[in-house]
Amino acid sequence: MSDYKPKIIAFVCNWCSYAGADKAGGKKLVYAPNVKLIRVMCSGRVDPQFAMEAFRKGADGVMVLGCHPGDCHYRSGNIKAFNRFSIFQRMLAQFGIEKERFKLDWVGAGEGERFQITANEMTETIKRLGPLSIRGFVESEVA
Amino acid sequence: MSEKKSIVFLCNCGNNISDFMELDALSQWAANREDVLLVERHNLLCSPDGRKHFQEVLQEHDAERVIIGACSPKMHEKTFQTLAEELGINISTIHMANIREQCGWVTADKKDATEKAKELIRGAIQRSGLAEDLERRTMEVNTDVLIIGGGIAGIETALCLARAGRKTYIVERDIAIGGFIIKTEEVAPNMECSPCVLAPRLSEINDSKNIEVITNAEVKSVIGFFGNFTAAIHQKARAVEDSCIGCEACFEVCPVDVESRFHHGLGTHKAIHTLFPGSVPAAAAIDKNRCRHYTDGSCIACAEICPFGSVNFEQKDREREIQVGSVVIATGFDVIDPSSNPNLGYKTMEDVYTLSEFERIASSNGPYGGDIRMKNGRSPDRIAVIHCTDVMFEKNGSPSCTPLMNMIALKVGEYVHKKIPGAEVFNVHAGMVMAGPKETAYLNKIRDKHTRLIECTDMTTVTLKQDDRIVMQGAGLEPIEVDMVVLATSMKPSEGTAALAELLHLELDENGYILPDHELLHQTGSSLDGIYIAGCAVGPCNMGTAVTRGHAAAGDILSKLVPGRHIELEIMTSVIDEKVCIGCKMCISVCPYKAVNYDEQKHICQVNEVICRGCGTCTATCPSGASKARHFTDDQIYAEIGGILHE
Amino acid sequence: MTHKPKVAFYWCASCGGCEETVVDLAEKVLDVVAKVDIVFWPCAMDFKYKDVETMKDGEIAVAFINGAIRTGEQDHVAKLLRKKSGMIISFGSCSTHGGVPALANLTSRKKIFASSYHHSPTVENPEGIEPMQTSQVNGHELILPEFYETVRKLSDIVDVDYYMTGCPPTSDNLAEAVGVILSGNLPPKGTVLSPNKALCGDCIRNETKPDNMVVERIRRPIDIILDSETCFLQQGVICMGPATRTGCGALCIDGNMPCTGCYGPTDNARDQGAKMIAALGGILSENREMETNEILERLTDPAGTFYRYTLAASKLGSVRKEE
Repeated sequence: MSDYKPKIIAFVCNWCSYAGADKAGGKKLVYAPNVKLIRVMCSGRVDPQFAMEAFRKGADGVMVLGCHPGDCHYRSGNIKAFNRFSIFQRMLAQFGIEKERFKLDWVGAGEGERFQITANEMTETIKRLGPLSIRGFVESEVA
Repeated sequence: MSEKKSIVFLCNCGNNISDFMELDALSQWAANREDVLLVERHNLLCSPDGRKHFQEVLQEHDAERVIIGACSPKMHEKTFQTLAEELGINISTIHMANIREQCGWVTADKKDATEKAKELIRGAIQRSGLAEDLERRTMEVNTDVLIIGGGIAGIETALCLARAGRKTYIVERDIAIGGFIIKTEEVAPNMECSPCVLAPRLSEINDSKNIEVITNAEVKSVIGFFGNFTAAIHQKARAVEDSCIGCEACFEVCPVDVESRFHHGLGTHKAIHTLFPGSVPAAAAIDKNRCRHYTDGSCIACAEICPFGSVNFEQKDREREIQVGSVVIATGFDVIDPSSNPNLGYKTMEDVYTLSEFERIASSNGPYGGDIRMKNGRSPDRIAVIHCTDVMFEKNGSPSCTPLMNMIALKVGEYVHKKIPGAEVFNVHAGMVMAGPKETAYLNKIRDKHTRLIECTDMTTVTLKQDDRIVMQGAGLEPIEVDMVVLATSMKPSEGTAALAELLHLELDENGYILPDHELLHQTGSSLDGIYIAGCAVGPCNMGTAVTRGHAAAGDILSKLVPGRHIELEIMTSVIDEKVCIGCKMCISVCPYKAVNYDEQKHICQVNEVICRGCGTCTATCPSGASKARHFTDDQIYAEIGGILHE
Repeated sequence: MTHKPKVAFYWCASCGGCEETVVDLAEKVLDVVAKVDIVFWPCAMDFKYKDVETMKDGEIAVAFINGAIRTGEQDHVAKLLRKKSGMIISFGSCSTHGGVPALANLTSRKKIFASSYHHSPTVENPEGIEPMQTSQVNGHELILPEFYETVRKLSDIVDVDYYMTGCPPTSDNLAEAVGVILSGNLPPKGTVLSPNKALCGDCIRNETKPDNMVVERIRRPIDIILDSETCFLQQGVICMGPATRTGCGALCIDGNMPCTGCYGPTDNARDQGAKMIAALGGILSENREMETNEILERLTDPAGTFYRYTLAASKLGSVRKEE
């Protein structure tokens, strides 16, 4: 299990969290290479379907990262994301997917360290949970 | 996916990328891909040489997509988009894979970094395959200005802008403009006649072709951004047409007396009334709650006597929409109501007034024609003015405390001295702080001459008792018998400030005034670009400062909203497919900018792409899948997910 | 015998409601029968699988198949009908999206058997007998169809030409579909034979929605007295209308009950449950004074609420099975 490399997809907002990840880069803060970012303009753009698609296509963990409450570039897209994914996370358990496999968090544009910690913690969590294999009819589509 | 459609640029970034991953292997991998036409390595693609190379490659090859494996798109996406645009290639063709900040620089092992770079490039290739052309759009700024509030600050802002040729709208909720200053007799410390100061300004407004005054009206919504706002205004019917010149003939015949708002309830006016003679607009208005035509249909006397046929009982409320480039909030202030402290006898004892009520009593255009008198008609011999009454509501001092109130409270002595020779005035205070040298000079001028200053050690202990006269007691005070008491209550944000702030998405400060953009550098800007604040909407101030704030706001607007100047509009807006949308309105609820409207005819929702800022929240929300976020479509994101996770 | 087109009806894992729709055609059924020959309809007439097996490939013009695929028998007959029919119409929520039977995907075969044959309070099974695919009874081998681990929608098993949704589709929907088929003026393959629009467009309560809708707290219909004119979402009650294809005529709304989503998503929305979560999350109160748990307290079964009819078509499909 020690060489298990979890696949983690993070949907990050352009203004805060993507910039925060860039900041981590600028400071050369090393974190687990298995976290891959997909940029969207606002965390409010993240449709729960995206997270499901990532799980379905083989991600072991999914994150949505946005601006801290009150800092949203578009006023309150982050709160809408929070509300959406609060519902989503409750439902994940019904699908037998540990709720820890999904994480919504805030990373500000200047918070390189926070991004590093968030990415590493998520990687540790997923390593502990092991690979996610969705069985059932989806199986055939997932490599 | 077998068609070779992509050019992949890989940038060494000096050695900022090449030191952190195996770029040779990466470029070999990319070159072997079936969907890649060409891989171009460059030492520093953003350098002048690199830019030239980039354009040359694009000109030589007919690529449908261009992937740049380099730094963060936040660094150079615009650079490369612009270079492509110069060649007539749509900016949507350019896609960056962030293999520096989010890959090489944060990955310990070069092999791991190389693998991650592959995944990121794969994601970018997949995503780019679904890109649709993006269109750059600009619009000319609207230089018109909406001013909310017709007090002295709003009036001066409007005049300043109108003189520069700007179309200006003043929206005032009362039936005429003038605000607080028209209710003031004289302005301290120079004791200038305030109606005389205001009159020429009112007539200039009346004559200005550039200023439109919309009274009896409230702003219902403001959407848009600096240079392009749309405001909805609700104007209540006044039942009198603009042809009315304010001749007052109808006042004679109107049988209904109504407590006068203008006189703070101390006098009356008729159900058909003007705010004051010579008001702007000149037209009278009918109080529909009191007029007998509306209450029992028994009277049309005013309509019968009006020489201009101006009375129109059927007049309807008006909904208006105006387009402006910026908005100035000059909503002024209100006065704190002291009746919550029973010790002060306000509203329970006769002849206890607030400072603003006393101002009316002393004013020549006031309810008693400037004759200072008590309820029983007699002139008072002894008057007490109680300072800092706000302290009595809040133990540790009131946030609305301002030396300004000391200044205004001291005027009582001068008014009384002029009108009732020999009458005594006592100003009871807890330490007299004046705002500046002129105010201090005023204090020195009138102390002991027109008023006696009496210091109270604890203002919270001040109590009034009704006896033959009013007996005032308090810590450190000998009991004083007076005929009249004036309470120097302070200012608070005007009623509706919080609601207006919510409407416009503005922040408030801890006292409920509108929070400035910057306390020192931009006091008349609000937290939103293009929305300004003037006068007491920023916080308590005297008339001079109120006017200066208005001038400052006007100057800033003039420097920014220049005719002919263009603003670039958001490219990545959301758009709704008319064929799929059924107008469930979910997108309207979630849009932070109110950029989505419901089309009543077509029963669908539509995005106003001039207002949309492209956050895509509506697209995520749309339960029919009718909304598309340009350049961040569902399909593009699915493709990127797939590209990252799978070969 | 004239050459009338041959039509088959078959039911898989379903409640029989879809069959009722055919019966509900009432006198219109005579029009249908006048134009077609019903050659297979196990629910209503006595046919044997053998009758179908002996037909030529493609001999049946149209087969209407309702119900989800739960067992090997359903799988087999669906494939048989595919072979023998020119056109397969997936009829109703269960065949199209899995329907209510697919909610069983939130559990496993093992748990279903444990509950049905052992732990259910009304079960008396001291020997712990479970159904077996093959068993010996009085010297004879008895074969039962396989009970699949996962409930699938029809299109997971066979190629489907057209889809009809609804639990059940209304008889108007059926009459219309038959009309379209008989006219020969067919839409592109794979089309859902209902308008590609959401229900709100046909809901008279849509006009009551304010521009700034906020759900302060989620409520179930049993929690409040439902206003008969206001949008259910405005009342805090989850109505799937915005995320559900129209075509039903807003029958539930007329009965003052919220839409539960049986017509499935529109073409563009893909995953009905996820889209409803996205929409609902967008209008949930942003007032942080109330804990999110409190706001969502009455959302006791999110998967069952948002995927009541479409679990087999959702992106997550089914629960992860423990093995």
